[in-house]
Amino acid sequence: MKRRDFLTAASGAAIAASASTLPVPGLIRRAHAAGSGDTVKIGCLFSSSGTMANIEGRLNYVTKMAADEINAAGGVLGKMIEPVITDPGSDWPLYAQLGKQLIQQEEVAASFGCWTSVSRKSVLPVVEQNDALLYYPLHFEGEENSKNVVYLNSPPSSSVLPAVEYLMSEEGGAAKRFFMLGSDYVWPRTINQQLKGYFKSKGIEESAWREEYVPLGFSNFQTLINQIRDFADQPGGQPIVILTVVGNSIPDFFREFINQGISAFDVPVLGLDAVEADLEGLDTAPLVGHLNCWAYLQNAPGAQNQKFLADWAKYVGDNDVPFSADTVIDPMVSTYDGVHLWAMAAEKAGSFDVPEVRAAFDGLSFDCPSGYNITMTGENNYVKRGVFIGSVNEAQGFDVLWQSDDTPTPVPFSPYMQG
Amino acid sequence: MNFLPRFRLILPVMLAALLGAQAAPAAPRDDLLAPVCTGAFGDQMAALQSIARYGVEGGGDAAAWALRVVEAFDGRALRCGADAAFIETGDALLSAATLEPVSAAEAGELSSPSVNLRLRAVSASAAGLLTLMTAPDPAAREAALKVVSKRREAVTADLLERIAAAEADPGLKQAVSELHASMLLNDPDPQNRIQAIRAIGQTASQRNLSLLTQAMSAEKDPQVAAEAQSVIAGIERTLAAGKLMSVLYSGMSYASILFLAALGLAVIFGLMGVINLAQGELIMIGAYSTWLVQEGLRAAAPGLLDYYLILAIPVSFAASAAVGIAMEALIIRRLYTRPLMTLLATWAISLLLINTVRVVFGSQNLEFHQPGYVSGGVQVLGDFIMTMNRLFAIGIAVVAFVAVLWLLRRTMFGLNIRAVTQNREMAGAAGIDTRRIDWMTFGLGSGLAGLAGLALSPLYNVNPNMGANFIVDSFMVVVLGGVGSLLGAVLAALGIGQINVVIEPVYGAVAAKVLVLLLIIGFIQWRPEGLFAPKGRR
Repeated sequence: MKRRDFLTAASGAAIAASASTLPVPGLIRRAHAAGSGDTVKIGCLFSSSGTMANIEGRLNYVTKMAADEINAAGGVLGKMIEPVITDPGSDWPLYAQLGKQLIQQEEVAASFGCWTSVSRKSVLPVVEQNDALLYYPLHFEGEENSKNVVYLNSPPSSSVLPAVEYLMSEEGGAAKRFFMLGSDYVWPRTINQQLKGYFKSKGIEESAWREEYVPLGFSNFQTLINQIRDFADQPGGQPIVILTVVGNSIPDFFREFINQGISAFDVPVLGLDAVEADLEGLDTAPLVGHLNCWAYLQNAPGAQNQKFLADWAKYVGDNDVPFSADTVIDPMVSTYDGVHLWAMAAEKAGSFDVPEVRAAFDGLSFDCPSGYNITMTGENNYVKRGVFIGSVNEAQGFDVLWQSDDTPTPVPFSPYMQG
Repeated sequence: MNFLPRFRLILPVMLAALLGAQAAPAAPRDDLLAPVCTGAFGDQMAALQSIARYGVEGGGDAAAWALRVVEAFDGRALRCGADAAFIETGDALLSAATLEPVSAAEAGELSSPSVNLRLRAVSASAAGLLTLMTAPDPAAREAALKVVSKRREAVTADLLERIAAAEADPGLKQAVSELHASMLLNDPDPQNRIQAIRAIGQTASQRNLSLLTQAMSAEKDPQVAAEAQSVIAGIERTLAAGKLMSVLYSGMSYASILFLAALGLAVIFGLMGVINLAQGELIMIGAYSTWLVQEGLRAAAPGLLDYYLILAIPVSFAASAAVGIAMEALIIRRLYTRPLMTLLATWAISLLLINTVRVVFGSQNLEFHQPGYVSGGVQVLGDFIMTMNRLFAIGIAVVAFVAVLWLLRRTMFGLNIRAVTQNREMAGAAGIDTRRIDWMTFGLGSGLAGLAGLALSPLYNVNPNMGANFIVDSFMVVVLGGVGSLLGAVLAALGIGQINVVIEPVYGAVAAKVLVLLLIIGFIQWRPEGLFAPKGRR
């Protein structure tokens, strides 16, 4: 083997390794149109492989669970729901490709999918061109208002900002200085942009915050934690970290954070993408007190939540689901809400056609496991959700530290984007 | 420390407590507890502080009671009734004021007081203070002193003075007095201020530097200011040294990870020329076998659980080596003449391994027990903390490097490997069983990957996909170091690690990654054979 062959082969190896999975077009079989026959199809665009697999994979099962629930009660417009599962393999362009297949070949009535904003942005043109529906279950950066996407979770105005406001209050720790650390893509950058606008509107000096980004999948947080310690020890008031890294970077971040001996008392971390599932595999005792904010927490009070937790545990047991039976995260509940909201809209419209289903959104309401009655209006496709601030407890979960009295109206476009 | 305004906040509550003390013996405790339940956040905080004060000033029984209450608050066991507070213990309910058992019916409807981060900081500080005062065991008091010196929410100078006076152990007494001295930075007496500056100067940290700089900007007394100047200069020197060590350590640590991931590949790709895309999955298998050893020990010999990382060394090596040898015997040896086919075949194997592991274990991150030698860190100098899990990885990397070097240079097996690498036909003609050497070398490379999995398990998330993180980096190290050169791999890893760490704080982690890749591309353009090119025919 010649030297040059080595090098080409080695670079080929690098390329092959960075592309996670090959598209598998033949995997989805062609079937009859939505609404014809006695079933109606819905599509799932959640990865079962790649970096997002551990958290996104659960959403496939929760969609099935919600479909089973509706089917058991007689289905939608007399038809049984049949979920079609795909695997976009955490590969953003593949979400668009599979989304297209779901709409054009499978002729699904609606799709449920995406976790990261990158994947949503890549599916967006597909659903808009085909006038299809995508139910998106994650809280996200806002600044988007498509008639083809149902935003099941909150934009920053009703998730991040209330949480930061709480942390800045005397009770929440009187945070004065902010270290914003995120993965380098659209969600963290937009969130931080809005936060900076928000800080400015509160008269906070620019020297009171720092902004750092790491590549997706980054794991060596040593230097950054050193920087955070350095930042924290400067004078000027209580520092906090606003963490927008995603996926497996979250446990890596916390592991280094613990090992360098920083506690939540010194520098609380508001982990905007941190969910119960990220704490699996970590000893949470040294992490107690760190925060997150979502529209649902596993410890949300109420019978509705108890029922959902029991249903999920039962579903996992009955169907051999390869995920924890006693971990439930917000996007799971949001997806579950989404399937129900879609079924209610279709039932109300008397049709599976997208324009008619969309026209039926106005006035929908559903008793979410979070304990809030969530509603939709005719104004946009956002769903009104409650707000929770959680704090890490010893049992790898989040205690509810604060929750909103009602469901604030989502504001798609933030007034803080300027500047 | 900004305790003066806080002190003002406590004062009214404290006065109330003192006035109450003259009435009935149990009444002040009720009064102290009331605002914890009913008060707004500020009152709750003041109440916790005055409970700590009540305990320290009262001593003995009062201190034990106060400790019990703040611990219950911190542990979320405190419950509020209509007009009294209770402590919930497993199955019973105690009155928080008297610590006597109470029936549930008597207590009535109960609610939990809100416990947020700041209140927990105050209660942790108060608990530390009270433990420091009451614990019979000096080691427990020493631990409490550490808590108190970090968490000062409930600590005031006069309380520390009291504790220092009561302390029996001379060493601890000295330490408490020093902590007391350091809290007098705003004292009216200049002598006390100088004492405080010296006491603070004992620990060089950015935090103390900020503290002193802040205090000095308002200092009028020239003598105190001069003392502060010299202490600040000393702290700055130590901090600079600590920072340098910290950068070096971070670079070393990153290098050790790169090197461990690349070591197996350096053998397989470097010596045999096989592009093994399943290398990352061999790392994963090493990590999973480590986990299995841990679970096995947990079930069979819980006493040895802390040593699972050591005991798993042969297991993880053997498991990955076995998978590697099977790969070689079944597939790769048929493809030695077709490198691109090997590339595809090993990629297929990697997918197969990932999905097999996912089906068997699920895709969640595995939980690893973190024994003392891989958790936490040691404050070495200034703000430099040496984290133990990284030290462990560095240690394994050094040991593995020395062992492999010895194996290749000093043993018959190594000699054979080198002979086959340099000229396969000639080595065969000289009587070396080249087939046997092939699979043994492949097994060695795979086993080393398994060892990497073990060393990385306290550092990284262990899940079926973990291998993908390492494959690009390890090829980078091997190609940069010079294919076939172990020493080259070490230097390449150290170089990449150190450059990364230096660039990262300046241009950010994203740019660091890009710059390092550009540097490597430039270097390979200039020197395609890498740092060290082994002589020999290929």
